[in-house]
Amino acid sequence: MRLVILFAALTYLSLAIETSVPYWIQTRILIPNLIVILAVDLGLRHHGVVPAFLAFAIGYATDAFSGSTLGINAFLITAIYLLTYEISSRLLVTNAAVGATFVFLGVIVTALGALILADGAAGLAAAGPMLPGIALQAAVSALVAPLMFAFAAMLKRVVGLPVALARE
Amino acid sequence: MKGTFLWRNRVVLTAGALLVISLHLLSGGLSRGGYAAAPALAILEALRPVQAATARLGDGASSIVHNYLDLVQVHQENTALRAEIAALKGQQARIAELQTENQHLAELLELKDVLGLGAVAATVIGSDATGLSHTLVLGQGSSSGLKPGMAVLSSRGVVGRIIGVSIHAARVLLIDDHNSALDGFDQRSRARGIVAGMVDDGIIMKYVDRSEDLKPGDPIVTSGLDGIFPRGLLVGAVARVHREGPGLFLSVQVTPAVDFHALEQVLVVTQQAPAAPPDIRG
Repeated sequence: MRLVILFAALTYLSLAIETSVPYWIQTRILIPNLIVILAVDLGLRHHGVVPAFLAFAIGYATDAFSGSTLGINAFLITAIYLLTYEISSRLLVTNAAVGATFVFLGVIVTALGALILADGAAGLAAAGPMLPGIALQAAVSALVAPLMFAFAAMLKRVVGLPVALARE
Repeated sequence: MKGTFLWRNRVVLTAGALLVISLHLLSGGLSRGGYAAAPALAILEALRPVQAATARLGDGASSIVHNYLDLVQVHQENTALRAEIAALKGQQARIAELQTENQHLAELLELKDVLGLGAVAATVIGSDATGLSHTLVLGQGSSSGLKPGMAVLSSRGVVGRIIGVSIHAARVLLIDDHNSALDGFDQRSRARGIVAGMVDDGIIMKYVDRSEDLKPGDPIVTSGLDGIFPRGLLVGAVARVHREGPGLFLSVQVTPAVDFHALEQVLVVTQQAPAAPPDIRG
């Protein structure tokens, strides 16, 4: 329950930032994708059925503020959680650098995935010119990820949740 | 239970099931207007106070930053005078902000009078969460009479249409989003087409017959035939006409009339526009 409340609060905060900051800073690619960072944190450190539902819920909440099709972000964030979970369960170390790498790849996968899911082959064709911008946002997100992980870890300590890998 | 296949693979199976549910949502099996969208609208409503507060904070913060930057240049001034100047500048910035807001609202009021249709002014409080789609969040919702499908305008032209409404907030799909399309025509040549957004930003006009005489600079306006946007509203201007290559239709790039990043107040048309007379080709 504490995990659900903590991630609900973090998602609320992340969505508030993601939807408000672009109102002042128009260079969208410089704003990190905090939602992907949350999904990676879940996939790296929380292995279980509840975290999987949380990842889906985070994506669904993002859909409430993005695009016109319900389900795109729910699908992509759940997929990011599943991939992070699968890979991290085979790794010996899941530190911030590994997390940042997951975030970098996750941002690229979600951006390309959203374009393909929304527009099919046309979306993929249009993704070419957008790739440098997507890669830059992925790099910014990867740089911010360790700070976000540390912030989440601090909050987890406060509410008495395990900071390292926790299985149900 | 533990040690069984289901238990060992519970995370993968759960995530897999959730992926299937997401695909079902995506496939249109459950539309945005359906019951699956209700939690999304609740989330939209829940975030509205924070977005409205940060939008106000942003306006105030930028004024304060500018004021203090001015003060840095007057080092020799005494503390009392600086405080007085800061206070005066703060007031001035607030007055300037109110004047700008008044001007925007006056322009919207004028537009409302010109339209002759029922309309509600709304404030922009947020933007798209991912940036891959082009949407806005408004600080007014169903309590102000807003409904999905209503046209959203600014004093400069067409902004988009409402796609989701909670009690005190609404989401607008901008006309430059890749899922957006409206019926429009070239005001000079009367050539009709579908104005659609593109994935990599920008707007194009599709399905324009190759024989049509479109030229850069031609104004593109709404036809009113889509039943959403009233007829004759400015969408943008023709930027480039591609006549090269095979095909039945022209490819027309359009520069939008509205700067979507600079929107603060918009007008939502709450009354259905009357059907447009068919004096356009296409």
